[in-house]
Amino acid sequence: MINFNRVFAMILRYTYGMFHSFDKLSDMFYWPAMDIIMWGLTGLYFIRNNNNPSQLLFVVITGLIFWIVVWRTQYEITTNMLAEIWDKNIVNIFVSPLKISEWIVAFMIFGFIKTLLSLAFSAIVAFILYQLNIFIYGFYLLPLIASLILTGWVAGFFVTGFLIRYGQNIQTLAWAGVYLIAPFSAIYYSVTILPVWAQKVALFIPTSYIFEGFREILFTGNLSYDKLLISFGLNFIYLIIAIWFFVFMFHKSRKIGLGRLI
Amino acid sequence: MSPILDVKNLTKQFGSFTAVNDISFFIQEGEVLGLLGPNGAGKTTTIQMLLGVMEQTKGEVSYFNKSFKNHREEILKQVNYSSTYISLPWLFTVSEILECFARLYEIPDKQKRIDKLLKEFEIEDVKKKQFFMLSAGEKTRVLLVKAFLNYPRVLLLDEPTASLDPEIAIKVREFLKKEKQAYNVSMLFTSHNMSEVEEMCDRIIILDHGKIIDEDTPEKLANKITECKISLTISKDTKKAISFLEKQNLLFTQDRFIFTVPIREKRIAEFLTILSKENITYEEISIDKPNLEDYFLTVIGEKHD
Repeated sequence: MINFNRVFAMILRYTYGMFHSFDKLSDMFYWPAMDIIMWGLTGLYFIRNNNNPSQLLFVVITGLIFWIVVWRTQYEITTNMLAEIWDKNIVNIFVSPLKISEWIVAFMIFGFIKTLLSLAFSAIVAFILYQLNIFIYGFYLLPLIASLILTGWVAGFFVTGFLIRYGQNIQTLAWAGVYLIAPFSAIYYSVTILPVWAQKVALFIPTSYIFEGFREILFTGNLSYDKLLISFGLNFIYLIIAIWFFVFMFHKSRKIGLGRLI
Repeated sequence: MSPILDVKNLTKQFGSFTAVNDISFFIQEGEVLGLLGPNGAGKTTTIQMLLGVMEQTKGEVSYFNKSFKNHREEILKQVNYSSTYISLPWLFTVSEILECFARLYEIPDKQKRIDKLLKEFEIEDVKKKQFFMLSAGEKTRVLLVKAFLNYPRVLLLDEPTASLDPEIAIKVREFLKKEKQAYNVSMLFTSHNMSEVEEMCDRIIILDHGKIIDEDTPEKLANKITECKISLTISKDTKKAISFLEKQNLLFTQDRFIFTVPIREKRIAEFLTILSKENITYEEISIDKPNLEDYFLTVIGEKHD
């Protein structure tokens, strides 16, 4: 016989767990909302451009591959920082002579290398499965990818700033943080699909220029350099702010003690 | 001789709560200073501030006559830390962990240093094992190897032997003493094991509610408790003994034939003489002199009553 008192005790345990965990609460609402927004907008874009289905497939796959660059770059920074907390190792590294600037550079270099490996792998898989060759973008690929990596670093340091201050309670940001800009980045659809207010927000999102740029190359064979320049300009400004924010939050965290994070 | 670690007016406040309240102390080269106190006394907070992983509200910390705030990197090259409360990357092998830290500290001839320390701590066989697979004792010893990697001049040890079995704890203490003698390493040592503190420390600071309430050598602290405990086994004249002790106004305890009598050390001879005059014979006698634990329990007990 099932004892429903004990069943209720366990349901109560998981309910308390849910209210004490930002991760579990956000999972209930954040991801469904993101999926509906992203795929709804993508569907709209397909309806308006249904005259060339093969090109649409290319738009989706390249969008996916190049979004991996942004996501992976931020993910490497945030999860490597979280690993120090999970391993109870953060005190060990900060009682060593390591400077915060050295930690930042290590994050950037490691994230950059792993992102390139991920990108290469994704490109090979896309070629094998769909015969899609991302190298059709030619030399434009280099600045476009560089700009996406910069955005990944920006997102990574913003999120890591929150993580070092608030610890594991908000660790879901390590995976989900960058997705906040995904709908405005117009990964799989044109910016014009977005509502007017969202188009205005997209003006301040560097990745929106890059994904528009990819489609521009795909449809016209050319890239407007304005888009590239604006994207780089925004990224540099945001990167400076993001690193400043991370260092600021690190010192805030140090005020109450890094030891509490473990 | 100027101190190797000098702490002046160190204070830590969390809002209206003062965790560490205006404490000052120093450690001389080659000295082992014990930091004792009940839970919540401010020991770990103090250590965290001394290592720079927590920012003090007020006060100055200097190592080797240099301000820690202005010479962090240079100082931390010569300082290290180990604690029961921290860990190391769980999935890494011991060898990988130690290599990373040896690089962080820029240790010359890394492998030789790592091998030497692993051998001294008798854990050479765990080198290729992942950290999570080690026993509690092995983990503690790997943490201590990490702490000794950079030939530290100052070592901060927060309950370093807490999870070790007595045999390994003895070995660790022997190693710490040997390192101290060989390289004149200064140490700040916290532990709840009073006999360990007595054995290891040259001087002790007692912290309570974030304040230093006493400071001295372990012997002198223990000597502040003036009462010894005499245990007498009296199986024949128990009634006579009880009547005698009551007449003397002594607060004794009795467990079958064993009588335990707290008495000032200088009164012991007089007490035994009277006992003999009263013809009370005892089969066994033992005298326990006060130790650090008695002192600690008395002082902290008084404070908390």
